[in-house]
Parts: sequence; structure tokens; C-alpha cells
Amino acid sequence: MEIAVLPEVTSAGVIIKAIIILAIISAVAGFGTYLERKVLAFMQRRLGPMHVGPFGLLQIAADGIKLFTKEDIVPQNANKLIFQIAPSITAATAFIALAAVPVFPDFTIPEWIPLLGGVFVPSIAADINVGVLFILGMMAAGLYGPLLAGMAQANKWGIIGSARTAIQFLSYEVVTGLSILAPIMLVGSLSLVDFNEYQTGGFASWMVWQQPVAFILFLIAGFAETNRTPFDLLENEAEVISGYATEYSGMRWGMFFIGEYANMITVSVIAAVMFMGGYNDLGFIAGWLIVILKIAFIFFLMLWVRASWPHIRPDQLMWLCWKVLMPIAVINIVITGFVMMV
Amino acid sequence: MYEQIAFYLFSVLIIGLFLVTVLTKNVLYSMTSLAAGMVLIAGIFFTLGADFLGVVQLIVYVGAIMALYAFAMMFFDVTKDVKENNTNGSLIFLLGGLTALMFVIIMSAPIMSENIQALYPPMAGVTNPQAVGMVLFTKYLVPFEVAAVMLLVAMIAGIILAGKKMDQSLTTEDDVIVEIDILEEDEK
Amino acid sequence: MSLEQFKNRSVGTQTYKMVDYEPTPDTGMGRFQRVVSRTFRGELFVGLYVTMREMINALFGGGMHTTKYPFEKLPISPRYRAIHDMLRLLESGHYRCIGCGLCEKICISDCIKMDTRYDENQRKEVTEYTINFGRCIFCGYCAEVCPELAIVHGQRYETASEQRASFSIFDDMLTPKDALGQQQEFDGFGAVSPNADDNIKKTPLAY
Repeated sequence: MEIAVLPEVTSAGVIIKAIIILAIISAVAGFGTYLERKVLAFMQRRLGPMHVGPFGLLQIAADGIKLFTKEDIVPQNANKLIFQIAPSITAATAFIALAAVPVFPDFTIPEWIPLLGGVFVPSIAADINVGVLFILGMMAAGLYGPLLAGMAQANKWGIIGSARTAIQFLSYEVVTGLSILAPIMLVGSLSLVDFNEYQTGGFASWMVWQQPVAFILFLIAGFAETNRTPFDLLENEAEVISGYATEYSGMRWGMFFIGEYANMITVSVIAAVMFMGGYNDLGFIAGWLIVILKIAFIFFLMLWVRASWPHIRPDQLMWLCWKVLMPIAVINIVITGFVMMV
Repeated sequence: MYEQIAFYLFSVLIIGLFLVTVLTKNVLYSMTSLAAGMVLIAGIFFTLGADFLGVVQLIVYVGAIMALYAFAMMFFDVTKDVKENNTNGSLIFLLGGLTALMFVIIMSAPIMSENIQALYPPMAGVTNPQAVGMVLFTKYLVPFEVAAVMLLVAMIAGIILAGKKMDQSLTTEDDVIVEIDILEEDEK
Repeated sequence: MSLEQFKNRSVGTQTYKMVDYEPTPDTGMGRFQRVVSRTFRGELFVGLYVTMREMINALFGGGMHTTKYPFEKLPISPRYRAIHDMLRLLESGHYRCIGCGLCEKICISDCIKMDTRYDENQRKEVTEYTINFGRCIFCGYCAEVCPELAIVHGQRYETASEQRASFSIFDDMLTPKDALGQQQEFDGFGAVSPNADDNIKKTPLAY
């Protein structure tokens, strides 16, 4: 197919890509915390961080220094090993999920650079043909971070937090999977590149117009899977202190945070590529710019919703998932199937 | 070469992790190592080129089944070790070893006789999910449908067992009164 | 306001706007209808609109409400009860305190301690005057009881200090001698009311 035209993907290129993803996404995730604080502040008519650097831009650096130098506390009766590896599971699965997401276009390193000159760096680190499912699977595996963290820390808030993790992630995985099944049926492929190709016809060919229900369902389930506000039950301060993160401090807590923001970016990328036209040019705007704008809009939507809407109760969460969203998703799939057959 | 390195790495890690699962006395350790082993099995699927199966392994075993185990674990105090009262350790070791040996012999017998032959060899130009779908809906159609019906039966049974008082809400006043009435009746 | 309105003690029924709580529907169909109507009523989008409006207003309409506190300070009420000030007489520059001891007597947390003696003019002189700000509850009784408006509450509300004694010495609270011109007459707690002159009536002895 058209992949044969491209230069060969070497292992060096993949490793470089992985390093780029790690570096860029962790920086962007850090910047996401700044953005979140700023946007929430503006919506509450506050200024937000202002004192570290111009407009508080260096707040990330200050927070990073603080997190790195804080004492790493392990509670007395906690299961030390599991307690210590749990945050890295969250961060690792979030970044592994990004391996199947196209981030930045392909490029070849110029020849004049020593050692690495001429290496082709692909846009996707691991171009497997079940990309969407892989991302979902890795996000499903990401549930172990909060789960093990809560169970290992010998704290009742922790165990309530991890119980909520289990029910929330397990339930909403179903909705995520079913909601993107209808677009997958239309495209006939699980690769994000094929999704992009499907929507080349400009604004009118976006998947949103064909599958509005699936888009809304995916957004709702994506909010739940990334633990964003209307479904922010895992670490709802009013009810369970910090949930699974109650006993964590320093960089281990920071890893949960980075994982959460990386997951937010992943969900934004999937929504932008699958439903909102991907990285095709829109009129006169270049594709790389428009995809960044779309991802930024979905990210902003998460912050906007956090500023506007209240939490829901855990029983309402389950009610919403199993009695509302899942039937709608199934009906959507059935209707899509009928329309495709006719 | 990379495939071989990956295969041996994954195999050693899987065996090691599953040994931890069996041998440890701590519930949390055994659960974590089981989940990690499941992830690595998905890794073996990926090295074989069975992307779809690998992803399904991730979603179903790691994401769903192990999480349900974890849910059951929440009833225990996972920070304490489990007290096992084995009376005869050597007998268990012997039986377990024999079972494992038998399993290995059964599984490796076709390879020894070099009789192994793919009934549905991979077709060119067919992606992984499509291949799985073709096999599933042609040769294994009946078992697939039977399994689906069985799962449906299990689901309905589960709902009926768990949902006896499902239509009562504790959030409205009238329902609380109803609930109190029910409790009083139970006491009688 | 008429007497009837005063006598109506049930405050909840007068000016409060009652939220329209519909009764919870009993039937499954009723619940379903409620869910559908709530879903499509668009209240969630009103919420989104409100936050977006506030954000645009804050960023471009000058609606930002932050006071950058250590750099900016909001004006405080003249009746605010912060760290005490000791005032001086404007004419002579002598401190106003006559050593009557009323403030020490009335202090309910027992934090004012004073010591006085007669000087060579047979006038009370304050030798010791301390307020223990670790105990002071800033009730304002001392300022209210003071017959000379000598002890008043000032505007220093940033009471963090490295030593307990920082505020409590008489000389620290007293207006500096060279700043006598800047001494503000206190119009807060216990001060003479602005229309005090109008309230003065001639006593019979003046006739």
C-alpha cells in the first residue's frame, strides 16, 4: 500500500520517536496543569498563578522542583513494593497508549547530523493495524495504577478510591468500546490513519456529522476514563480525601498527575482524529495546525466542563453508564449496521 | 533476532511472575504478578503478529477479568499475609508437578511428531481482525453462538439474583418508608 | 414597615424564591420522562455559557476580582478592630492616657497590664503598659471604655511577627512624636459620633 513508498522504519527511528513522545508529552502534560489552573481561575474571575515567571509560565518548573525534592513517604503498614510501583503503572500505561497515536508528521533527520543522520522518524511509534483498540487496551490496563495504589496503602480512603476506580473504569470501558464501534464499522479499519483518510472531504465529511451520538457517548466515556470532573469520583476531596492518592507525596503523586494529563491528551487526540476530521487540511489552514487546534479545543472543553458542572454521585454514575449510555451505544451500533446494509 | 529476544524475555518473565502468583502468601503480590503476566502474554501475541488477539488479551484479561479479581480482593486485608494451613507440602508439590508435566507432554506431543498443520493458513491481504472474524464466523460459528447464548443466560441470571430490591430508591422519602416497612416485615 | 410584617415570624415564606421541586415520579414511565426532559432542557449548556461569559468578562471586560494582596490592599472599615494604637494630644504632644485603668479592668481576656505613679505635678504617669497580643481577642472593649480616646484600634491587621513582644510595648503603639501631624482622629469603635456637637444640650447651670 502507500506505506511502501515511505522510507523503511528502523528501530533507531522508533526509539527516537519514543523519546520525542516521552519528552514532548510530559512537557505538555506539565503545561496542561498550568493551563488548567489558568482557565479555571479565569472562569472564576481570578488570575491564577502569576508570580513565577511572566504570567506564571514557569510555575511548572517550580512545581516540578517542589515535587522532586519532597520527601517520599511510605506509610507504616502499607505494602511497600506495590505502593512504590503503582504510580509508575499509571504513567507508563498512559505513555504506552500514546505509542499507537500519531503525534507530529513523519520526518527524516538531516544528513549533516552525526550518528543519526538520515534516520526516518515515523509519525506513529508502533504502527499496528489495531491502533484504536490498542489505545483502549492500554487505558484499560491503566486502571491498575489507582487500583493497586489504593489497595496497597492501608488507608480506608485509598480502598474506597480504588473500589471506585474499578467500577468506574470497568463500566465506562464498555461505553468507550461500544461508542467507537459504530465509526469503526463505517471506516472498516481500526487504524487511526485510515480514520484520517476517511475524512479527507473537508468539514462536511467529518465523522461527527455521521455519528453524532457516538461522538457524544465517546466524550462522556472519555471524561469518565480520564477521571475528569463530572465523573471525578476517584479523588473527590469532599467524599474520599484524595481517594487512591491519599497517602502519596512528592514525585510518586506527580506521576499519577502526569499519567492523568497524558490520558487527557490521548482522549483529545482520539476524539480529534476519529470524529473531527483528523489532520487533513481545512480550507487554507494547514493540517498540522488544525489538528493541534482541535486537540486543544477538546482539552479546553475538559477544563471548561470542570469549571461549570458539579460532580455526580457514584450510583448516578453507574445508572448513567449501564441504563443510559450503554443501551444508546448498542442502539446506535444496530442502526449503523442497518444503514450500512441497506 | 528481536523476536527471539522478546520471546525469551517474555517467557522467562511470564513464568517468573506466575510462580510469584502461586508461591507468594500476599494477596496483593499474587494479584499484581498475575496481571503483569497477562500483559506479557499480550506481548507474546504481539511478537507473533497477532495484534488483534494481543489487544483482546489486554482488554479482556487485564482490563476486565483481573479487575474483577481485584474487586473481590477488596474484601480482604491485603496488607497482611494469608495464613495457609498445608499439612502435607510434599504431596501437593508432587501432585502439582505431575499435573504440570502431564500438561507439557500433552501440549508438546503434536510438535514432537511434527504433525502440526494450520487448518486455516493466514491469507495474504487480510488484516488481523478480519482473519479472526472469518474463522470465528465460519468454522467456529456454532461454538461462538453457543458461548454467546450461555453468557446471555449467565447475565440474566446475575441480574435476577442481584436485582431483587433494585427498583427501590433510598433517596426519596416515600421509598425510605417503604424500605423501613420491608425491614420491619423481615424482622417479623 | 407595618406591625403585621414584623409579627410574621415565618421568614421562609416572604422574600425567598422557592426552587420548583417536582415530586419524584412513582412510575417507571414518569422517571423516564423526567430524565428525558432534564436531558434536553439544556441546563448543562447554560452552565457552560455562564462560565464562558465570566471568563470573557474577566479577561476582556475588566471583571477580574483578584487583589494581589501583598502589593495591593483593600481599604478596611474604620470600625475594624486591629492592633491597638495609643494616641497623643494634638496640642501638647503628651500621650492621652491618664492612667485610669479602666481598660485593664474591662479587658475580658485579661491581657492588658498597666502600672502608674504620680509624677512631680501630681499627675498620673504611665510607667508600664503592655498588651499581650497572644491573648487579646480584639473585642474592642478597651477602646470603647477609654474616656480619653487614648487607646483605639488601628489599621495594622498583619499581625505576624517574629517575637511576641513586637506589638505589645506602649512606646511601639504610641504615635511617634514626629508623626503627630499625621495622627488620625479615630472614628471607629468607641469614638465620638460625627454629629456629636448636635447632640450637646445646654445644662440648666448655663442659664
